[in-house]
Amino acid sequence: MNNIAATEGPGQIELDDTDQGIIDLLRDDGRMAYRAIARELGITEATVRARVRRLEESDTMRVVAVTDIEAAGFGMLLAIGVQVENRDPEAVARDLAAIAEVFSVNVVVGTHDIEILVVAPDSAGLNDLLSETLGRVPGVRRLTPALAVDVLKNQPDWVPFHGA
Amino acid sequence: MGRELDKLDRKIVEKLSPDARVSNRQIADELGVTEGTVRARVKRMEEQKQIRITAVTNIDRFRDAALAYIWVEVERSDQTRAIAEALAEVPELGFVGVMLGRSDILAITMVKNTEHLARFVHSNISTIPGVRRTESSLGVNFLKHDYRMARIVG
Repeated sequence: MNNIAATEGPGQIELDDTDQGIIDLLRDDGRMAYRAIARELGITEATVRARVRRLEESDTMRVVAVTDIEAAGFGMLLAIGVQVENRDPEAVARDLAAIAEVFSVNVVVGTHDIEILVVAPDSAGLNDLLSETLGRVPGVRRLTPALAVDVLKNQPDWVPFHGA
Repeated sequence: MGRELDKLDRKIVEKLSPDARVSNRQIADELGVTEGTVRARVKRMEEQKQIRITAVTNIDRFRDAALAYIWVEVERSDQTRAIAEALAEVPELGFVGVMLGRSDILAITMVKNTEHLARFVHSNISTIPGVRRTESSLGVNFLKHDYRMARIVG
């Protein structure tokens, strides 16, 4: 997902090949030792350390642990289209983003106003989440869910750092 | 399920989630277990794909980049799996899932604008044999993505 040819935003650090090399290696193995990264890229360990700090402090990159949804106890993953009425979709989206089971929120243009990704432990939990929680967020008119029955790929290395 | 994390697993993951570069020793000290225990648990969780330790980059770095949801409808249901597999091979797609309801397959990518999206769908998705039609939503504000959670595959 780093294949996009978008330009850098204002006030961002410039990334060179060394930065990109470090990011690529850490994407494969987030716990790779600085020494091993240095050897791989033909630079010193101190350089690696300094570059990683710069990438982290500029909010460009983070090394994180991603938990599998099933391992976390959630058997179901859904993509839900949300139609909004009588309220600013951005405000509705912010309320939805505050719900733990809602792990992705994107305000969109298309058939729906907001697209969200949610997890649920089972069908009873899902029913509660839809009718008791999501359906009651002010401004939510209709929820149109789709259940993921087979996820073939899920590697979002493009994420917004705020709010998560 | 058998894959579910136990209490100690979860405590270790909690330490790793925001900053996975923290050392096993530090986690061990904070949780009052041995470093060997932490190392073995992390190794097992990674091997069994319960967790994945990885670098993520900030989407805000990219100006004018938007997330696009592309819903794909197939000609015949027996083609769904093959088409989803073909989509998973497209490097620009970060999520590919076979879905029930709304449509047959959901694919998610990041594009620069509507034109870029149209071009991408036209040349990378509509060309796959068996794709009947697609419907896309283009993001105007990517508000949240909890990177601590994903379906770990492959």
